[in-house]
Amino acid sequence: MNIQAKTAAPPAIAFDKKEKTASNLKSEIIRRYFRVVHALFVVFMLIQLLPDKLASDTYASYAIWFAVGAEVLTLIVSALIKKPVSLNLFVDIVAFIYGLLIAWTLATAKFNLLKPALFPPPGKVFSQFIEDYDKILVNVQSSIGIILQGYLLAIAVAVPLGLFLGWSARLGGAATYISKFLGAIPPIVYIPYGIALLPTFRSVSVFVIFLATFWPVLGGTMSGVMNVEKKTIDSAKVLNVNKATMLFSIMLPASLQQIFIGCNQGLTVSFVLLTSAEMIGAQSGLGYYIKNYSDFGDYTRTIVGLIVVGIVIVIISFIFNSIQKFLLRWKPA
Amino acid sequence: MSKIEIKNLTVDYVEKRKSFTALKDVSFSIEEGEFVSVIGSSGCGKSTLLSILEGINSPTSGEILIDGEPIKGTGTDRGVVFQHYSLFPWMTARKNVAFGVKQVNKNASRSERLKIADEFLDKVGLEQFKNKYPSQLSGGMQQRVAIARALAMDTDVLLMDEPFGAIDAKNRTILQELLLELWEGDGTKARKTVVFVTHDIDEAILLSDKIVMMTANPGRVYREIEVPFERPRNRAQLVQTKEYNKFRNKLLSLFYSDIAEKIGGEEVVL
Repeated sequence: MNIQAKTAAPPAIAFDKKEKTASNLKSEIIRRYFRVVHALFVVFMLIQLLPDKLASDTYASYAIWFAVGAEVLTLIVSALIKKPVSLNLFVDIVAFIYGLLIAWTLATAKFNLLKPALFPPPGKVFSQFIEDYDKILVNVQSSIGIILQGYLLAIAVAVPLGLFLGWSARLGGAATYISKFLGAIPPIVYIPYGIALLPTFRSVSVFVIFLATFWPVLGGTMSGVMNVEKKTIDSAKVLNVNKATMLFSIMLPASLQQIFIGCNQGLTVSFVLLTSAEMIGAQSGLGYYIKNYSDFGDYTRTIVGLIVVGIVIVIISFIFNSIQKFLLRWKPA
Repeated sequence: MSKIEIKNLTVDYVEKRKSFTALKDVSFSIEEGEFVSVIGSSGCGKSTLLSILEGINSPTSGEILIDGEPIKGTGTDRGVVFQHYSLFPWMTARKNVAFGVKQVNKNASRSERLKIADEFLDKVGLEQFKNKYPSQLSGGMQQRVAIARALAMDTDVLLMDEPFGAIDAKNRTILQELLLELWEGDGTKARKTVVFVTHDIDEAILLSDKIVMMTANPGRVYREIEVPFERPRNRAQLVQTKEYNKFRNKLLSLFYSDIAEKIGGEEVVL
């Protein structure tokens, strides 16, 4: 009797568990795959069936392949992603892109509401992108190379200097005011000096980006150091740390959040300055690509350039945020 | 020669053009291996006294000698536990302890430092939490890490500034017993010299060999009292004895007579 009861119990529990996971699985599938984004994909495919109103070729197949690619990617990501919040974010972004594509296709290829010379249909832009892929890559490399060089150099100089000056300013000094004055000057006004002093467009650009990043990072580091709590400093002092340890092992991590604020500001200004400078005086780079083709009235390539600039900035800020999140992982949420 | 000699220590602060005497002519000495508690109501200068021992502040006049040498600033001969936040929030528990070890023992390799850190975190019962950041630990756990760091640094002198003041009653009891156990040891190693600031009389009796009672306005030493109970001590047994209650009442009456004297002295009519 006793034995029977013992053997009978486990299958019942197992069965119960199975049923529970089955219903969980069902809600999990609904959560992951039954989304507005997929309905928008279907709508996009359906509007391709409408007749074209444009006289020229709309390269619809490129737009269709793009959408199919995005849909496959979405399905793969939906299956792999773990956090519901990240899934929602990703799906919403893709849904936004589909919405944009639908409106764009309807306004151009299908109803011809906009001037075709200024607003080419999406398929044409995608085909142009594929055609110009190599050229775009060269220009992206050129722009990013300049930014990274000026930006990283500025951080490498500004952070140690800021730690040192901030530490001195804590003890009472003029360093703060001097840096505030110099930092208040917009970096673009240094361009004439840069041109007078430096031989090439590239070196002037690196110089201007260096300055555009240097002041906010220096200011951020200094104010970070000056706002470190006294108890943190006392804790370090009673451990009898030397000055280098105090600056790099204590002040640096303690003011990291403020340093990142400066770095972020520097990055934004750097992009604005570089693309503007490239539009004015360069023979390469993303700004040059956009300006050069719009001068020739090639608006398909201008739109390609705009999209590429957007993508590059999104990727860079994603990388920037990931680094920031990793280095500040110890902060309470 | 005593381990620590405090000689005619006076500290004046100037605040808003008004000078204010935090400590006036404070003198007492602490023997090697002695556990001394400094108690007194707030404003009696007990924390000021400790900050001078730590080397963070310097006195207006007078001096403190450790092993006959006057204190000049901070030093690796003293380990410190503050009431709050002596840990660095960007380091895990393990790194915090290892960082302390690095400052006193520059020759130890990284792996040796981490080994020492692990050993002391085990001693304070935090095996499971070594790789957590301070923000992921409770207040009591953070103080355990701070104690582990101070002990791992293996300094002659330990300075503790109300280390359990911000911890709930139950955990405070547990931490007091942990500190007592770690400090008393198993008799194989010499005990450390401890200066422990608190405002809790029971805590002072349980832990100390000697209690220095201070009085405010200006901060002075009111009484020095030897604690007569044998070691190793056990709280549960100790608090049941008549001697304990008698001693505790004596301390309390001293504590309150000091306050009553002061009110009388300032001619306050109740």
